[in-house]
Amino acid sequence: MLKKTHVLLTLALLLIFSLAGNVLPGQHQAAAKEKHNKTLVMGTSADYAPYEYIDTVKGNKIIGFDVDVARHIADKLGYNLVIKDMDFNGLVPALDAKRVDFVMAGMTPNAERKQKVDFSDTYYKAKQLIVTNDPKIKKIEDLKGKAIGVQLGSIQEKEAKKIADKVDNVSIEKRNKVPDLVQEIMSKRFNAAVIEDGVAIEYLNKNPDLSSFVIPGSASAGSAVALQKGSGLTEKFNKEIAAMKKNGELDQYAKKWFEPKTEKKAEKKSIVDFSTIMPSIPYILKGILTTLKFVVVSILLGFVLGTILALFKISKVNVLRWGADAYTSIFRGTPLILQLLIIYNATPQLTGYKIEPFLAGVLTFGLNSAAYVSEIIRAGINGVDKGQREASMALGVSYGSMMRQIILPQALKNILPALMNEFITLTKESAIIAVIGTTDIMRRAQIVGADTYRYFEPLITAGIIYYLMVMALTVLGRMLERRMSRGD
Amino acid sequence: MIKIENLHKTFGKNEVLKGISTEIGQGEVVAVIGPSGSGKSTFLRCINMLEEPTEGTILFKDQEVTTQASKIQQVRKKIGMVFQHFHLFPHMTVLDNLTYAPVTVNKTAKREAEAAARELLKRVGLADKEGEYPGRLSGGQKQRVAIARALAMNPEVMLFDEPTSALDPEMVKEVLDVMKSLAQSGMTMAIVTHEMGFAKEVADRVLFLDGGILVEDAVPAEFFAKPKSERAQAFLEKVL
Repeated sequence: MLKKTHVLLTLALLLIFSLAGNVLPGQHQAAAKEKHNKTLVMGTSADYAPYEYIDTVKGNKIIGFDVDVARHIADKLGYNLVIKDMDFNGLVPALDAKRVDFVMAGMTPNAERKQKVDFSDTYYKAKQLIVTNDPKIKKIEDLKGKAIGVQLGSIQEKEAKKIADKVDNVSIEKRNKVPDLVQEIMSKRFNAAVIEDGVAIEYLNKNPDLSSFVIPGSASAGSAVALQKGSGLTEKFNKEIAAMKKNGELDQYAKKWFEPKTEKKAEKKSIVDFSTIMPSIPYILKGILTTLKFVVVSILLGFVLGTILALFKISKVNVLRWGADAYTSIFRGTPLILQLLIIYNATPQLTGYKIEPFLAGVLTFGLNSAAYVSEIIRAGINGVDKGQREASMALGVSYGSMMRQIILPQALKNILPALMNEFITLTKESAIIAVIGTTDIMRRAQIVGADTYRYFEPLITAGIIYYLMVMALTVLGRMLERRMSRGD
Repeated sequence: MIKIENLHKTFGKNEVLKGISTEIGQGEVVAVIGPSGSGKSTFLRCINMLEEPTEGTILFKDQEVTTQASKIQQVRKKIGMVFQHFHLFPHMTVLDNLTYAPVTVNKTAKREAEAAARELLKRVGLADKEGEYPGRLSGGQKQRVAIARALAMNPEVMLFDEPTSALDPEMVKEVLDVMKSLAQSGMTMAIVTHEMGFAKEVADRVLFLDGGILVEDAVPAEFFAKPKSERAQAFLEKVL
């Protein structure tokens, strides 16, 4: 019975890995056709739909308004376009260091950026929309006596205040995130919300009940292309942007990406529909490698450190014992997510070292797990018959050899179930690293959820993957236990 | 070979050994007897520093054991010890139990250690058990393996701490027989035991401890025939 389950699990895991292996990413995207013999490298941060984002359905292709415009300009100028995806904060430095030729990332020119790079003319100005599910609201005046939602601290908040000045009895409600605003509209707590066009479009497209109109006179600073300081390209880009504005091509691209589709899908989708996220499943599966790598390194770090701490705890040296106890007390006494955020966010602040999310995660989980593992191992060591120690001592065996070869192997056997439990907990809890942006299973499920506006299916997919991983660990633990119990 | 002078041992407020002095000569077999709580086990365990004496000195081959904590491992290599509860390593086979210390401590080559171990197993009558784990052996077999394990280090002295007390009665003899043949081979031995018959037959000397004091030190024939002290007389009346 057990053997059968084991075989099944192995097969399931193999399947998952082979799927995941098929969609391994290429960091760069070359132009579809090598039409030209010169190349322009564009830097962007593909996490800002619809300007630029990763199409999880088609693997890792970066698409969006900026990409279309960039490709158009590059083509006109006789270049092949190569896109480099990086952190938004790294874009200006990359341009400064000449690692990319230009940057398009919905970037607004400001004084600070202008010191380091040149900007082209503005190619797109975002518009502020009133989004509502009340068909009677068609112009600003219709908002009389209504509640409108805005994102806290945003330009939209200022825009809403202007409306409140003009129209009577408008109340302004604030929320932290745009999805919350849409949710509140759907629950009829708000009558409308002020949302930027690029952000609103996805909601409008997916939700046939929502309608929108542009707030007259509203405007934002607008996006421009950033180029290397003194680059000869700036003039050429401006020329092409002007041409695109003139012949309406820019408007067409804007229409494609920023305007709600006119024919809305009227039919209601079934409540659960895996077909919509099917194409994105390989993208989620790819997170297995990240999660596995993360879990394995964290477990190893936690185990080694935990063993050392356990030895400190049974040591005769007061300082070591006291230190190890304090360590455990701190790591067990504070939330894991707090530890993670402190290590990830406070390390750069305190030391200037910009710690990578993966490293920060592994450190936090390793350090945290060590606290628990040390307690388990300490109990295990204390649980080994005192006679074993005496027999070893009487034979002249050194402390180190005795611990490694006599005491710890026996302790491990006794504590294996507890250790496996800790490893399983760690595997599941690893989902927390999604908060610092590591693209593990959890994070990828969230990204797919945000892309498709369906949450149940990707989350359930992630749940199944985690469950299978935990089952694999459980089976592994049982096998180890059986192996170690020989001789009993 | 071993010289003990004014040995005191205190656990908390409880003084278990109250100044014991004696000597154990080369090739001598000494039986340590006395009522429970008399300090005999503590006395034995002080010899290889499993218990640290509170006061007094122990000399092993004229080398002071008590003051040289760092060299204690060197001394322990030469003093074999057999425990009441065997303390075999349960996660190792019988053969590995025997070869572990020679290989780890003495850096003996694995093959050489195994050959010697097989010789010893033959000597204690367990040649066919080398692949077994201790959990599958009877008490008597375990204790014989434990003796062989101690002998594998080629000790110059063997300490036995109530080696037959945890055994079923029918297994006592097989262990005592091994010890007897060991004594006959000229091994220096100190044995804490309740087996009066064995002490009488095998020991060269009997140490009678009571209340942490060495009350009598005599040859077995004399001791068992006519103990000098009243305490020893009372003890023998109870156990014989």
